Amino acid sequence: MTAHQTCKTFIAGLAFASLAFAAGPVLAQGAAKVGAPAPAFQAIDADGKTRNLAEFAGKTVILEWTNHDCPYVRKHYNSATMQGLQKDMAKEGVVWLSVISSPIGEQGHVEGPMAKELTAKRDAAPAAVLLDPDSKVARAYGATTTPHMYIVDPKGTLAYMGAIDDKPSSSAASLTGAKSYVRQAVAELKAGKPVSEASTKSYGCAVKYAPVS
Amino acid sequence: MTTQLMALMSRHGFLRQAALVLALLAPGLAPAAESAAVTTPRVSATLLSSRDTVTPGERFQVALVQKISKGWHTYWQNPGDSGEATRIEWALPAGLSAGEIQWPAPKALPVEPLVNFGFEGTLLLPVEIAVPADAKPGQTITLKANATWLVCEKICIPEEGSFTLDLPVAQAAVVDESAQARIDQARAILPQPADFKGRLSAEGESLLLALPGIAADIRDLRFFPLSDTLIDHAAPQPMTADSNGVTLQLARSSAFKLTNAELSGVLTYKDGGVPRSLALTAEAAPALVTAAGQAASAPRPAVVRLPMPVEGADLTLWAALAFAFLGGLILNLMPCVLPVLFIKALGFAQLARASRSEVREQGLLFLAGVVSTFMVLAGIVIGFAALGSGVGWGFQLQSPPLVIALAVVMTLIGFNLLGAFEVGTSVQGVGHGLASRGGRVGAFMTGALAVVVATPCTAPFMGAAMGYAVTQPPALGLAVFMALALGFALPVVALSFAPGLLRLLPKPGRWMVVLKQAFAFPMFATAIWLIWVASVQSGPGGVLAALVAVLAAGFIVWLSGVSRDSGRARLIGSALGVVAAFGAGWFVLQSAVPSATSEARAADTQVWTPERVMALQAEGRPVFVNFTAAWCITCLANERVALSRQEVKEAFAELKVAYLKADWTNRNSAIAQALAEQGRAGVPLYLFYPGKRDGQAEILPQLLTPDSLITAARRAAGLDLKTVANRP
Repeated sequence: MTAHQTCKTFIAGLAFASLAFAAGPVLAQGAAKVGAPAPAFQAIDADGKTRNLAEFAGKTVILEWTNHDCPYVRKHYNSATMQGLQKDMAKEGVVWLSVISSPIGEQGHVEGPMAKELTAKRDAAPAAVLLDPDSKVARAYGATTTPHMYIVDPKGTLAYMGAIDDKPSSSAASLTGAKSYVRQAVAELKAGKPVSEASTKSYGCAVKYAPVS
Repeated sequence: MTTQLMALMSRHGFLRQAALVLALLAPGLAPAAESAAVTTPRVSATLLSSRDTVTPGERFQVALVQKISKGWHTYWQNPGDSGEATRIEWALPAGLSAGEIQWPAPKALPVEPLVNFGFEGTLLLPVEIAVPADAKPGQTITLKANATWLVCEKICIPEEGSFTLDLPVAQAAVVDESAQARIDQARAILPQPADFKGRLSAEGESLLLALPGIAADIRDLRFFPLSDTLIDHAAPQPMTADSNGVTLQLARSSAFKLTNAELSGVLTYKDGGVPRSLALTAEAAPALVTAAGQAASAPRPAVVRLPMPVEGADLTLWAALAFAFLGGLILNLMPCVLPVLFIKALGFAQLARASRSEVREQGLLFLAGVVSTFMVLAGIVIGFAALGSGVGWGFQLQSPPLVIALAVVMTLIGFNLLGAFEVGTSVQGVGHGLASRGGRVGAFMTGALAVVVATPCTAPFMGAAMGYAVTQPPALGLAVFMALALGFALPVVALSFAPGLLRLLPKPGRWMVVLKQAFAFPMFATAIWLIWVASVQSGPGGVLAALVAVLAAGFIVWLSGVSRDSGRARLIGSALGVVAAFGAGWFVLQSAVPSATSEARAADTQVWTPERVMALQAEGRPVFVNFTAAWCITCLANERVALSRQEVKEAFAELKVAYLKADWTNRNSAIAQALAEQGRAGVPLYLFYPGKRDGQAEILPQLLTPDSLITAARRAAGLDLKTVANRP
């Protein structure tokens, strides 16, 4: 018995070593995938309340990665384009969550009061501002830029990820005639149609990530 | 100094004339043909001309120069994960034209965990200017350029600058030697056109870029695509080399889109330590182009979950835990696991009269083996799911070399059970040996092995539970897998803790030897099945590789037996064994590569695509989709007992059911995505779509019967609406 167990020990060990080997090349890519369930998350909002994706089940949810000092974000806020989009979406019953992922000590990091002040000062209209200083939400979604937009449909499936519009530029002039991927996707979802451009390349400043602890 | 002087001169025509004279008189002080600098704390930019004067009809080079402060960078054409390329807009006098920016090869600039493509230090972006043939000597042409660039460190600042260069037209060009030298130097390091074409193909989730003209001994090879929707910029690009050249493995961009069969990019590498770059064009496999065009906007057929809803909100944690536990328990009865459990039970029977505490210890060690193996596999499955990659339960069986390794393991166990060889101490030492470390490790490893061989099976209840596990936060997911592990280990642990049950086992004797030998045959059967899986995955090469691996394993075992007695023989034996192991391993890895396509194996089925489902529905035909894999025993069992039955075939024909097969034997991202959409981590999955446009699919249970299939077919054909309404 011992004899064949020792043998099994050896070969099972071999099988294991090869398993571990096969699992080696883990992709460095973000997790979120259009058509798959949107990654669940939990984060503190600007009021200090814990929020999670599950509480919005049955509603369309938009995630907006933002950094108030990023020129690309400023383009959309200084022109009131972003606020207009937020208000229109609120009218449609869409939940808008702005996410700030800069960790403490990094550019763009804000605490709750500052986040609220920014919202008020810019007349922005998100349902909540989520603070993600450990970059957990950003990692779960693979957010790369500010802005970076994600739309979760009422069934919890990720329906859109990518750029806010089709003009990857920080210049205010680029807003004229830009096609809003977000408006398009939300309209198509509402009409029960498939999202025609469900995954686009986002543009903007790099999301500042907290080191993996 | 000269810059400012020149700027001053540009603004004042008369001064310029004077300066020209001055320059001709004092060549040592020749002013560079360089515009006034636009300077910020981050970038000092100028427009540099290789000419002080130009001649009619000639082409010459200018360059936008960026001196970038330390720590900051500007961007290449494809900026990578964030950023924006430098742009130049020209305002040129009529007749003059400017070419495109001639981009040097970028550097990958990591901003953990992202990667940008750009430049640090001093950057020259050369542009060719064509002077019209009818330009008149004596005239002055004014080049005006408005450049915008984004400069980033941790923060990003968009900057812009306007540059003006006044260049007199003369009969003979006056070359600014130092400017010409700087621009020549910049052009010398531009990527050279590659003298070969790359080929881009798909391999599951990744892309393979074959580079036939690249030598295998180069280092730091990296591909920078011009398109920003091709690859995951931050992913490593592992390189493999063979006699045909070098292949880079690239991770697909999450926004993957390829609209043109020809794509371009830049290759950078070090050749003997010298950095080089090549401008590459590559031909993409046609499937990649069309698939990509559709993938971005592919309409997907609607699905409704009837029997067992698995969306996170629908299945509670407790239900998932209960399903998992039950599923684990049932998994024990699956044909792949049974032989391993036989062995364990046999061990207990031998031990029954030895010591109750030893049996108990063995049971607990088996439990530990099961649980830790489940946790490792769950970690991998959940980890990959979190990364959006298409793996699921049984994923390791998608790797032909691992399937072959398992086949070898099964064969060796079989021969061991037959008594063809012994390893380690002799069999007489069993009683004492069991308390030894080998016995403990053995019990643990039996648990591990049981789990590994169980992965091809999905028992009833398991699919939904695992689907739940991979869509929940990792802690909940691991809890579900833990429940699965506990359910799986329960029978053996219960046996080890129940003296009553153990006493029921007959005394060890000759029957045990016979039974032990008999158990060799399920092992061989499993090995045969695994080799068949390898043949489906890799074709004849897979079978050859598997049999060579079995041969090598047998040879090594035999060697270790005959060389046991003398030190020298052992040395030679070990050396030969190592050679055989490496040789066979190498051969397996070479031969057992997944076939490019995995086609539906039955003649009367079609290959699944979401578009095909919609098209068939639009024709009014009910559609049955069978998500299966050659390594999935439950799938094969269903095919034998239900799908291939004559009455089912007749019902399908009568109701005009279209039968589509989604074969997940090899990795396939579309299938993985479809499974994920149904909240499933693996196969089998059976969907029945009604024969009307956009009709929602019904999910069938994981164990099929001819009756349940025919009833579902009738429902899908709209013949049995009452049953549908009554379903939970």
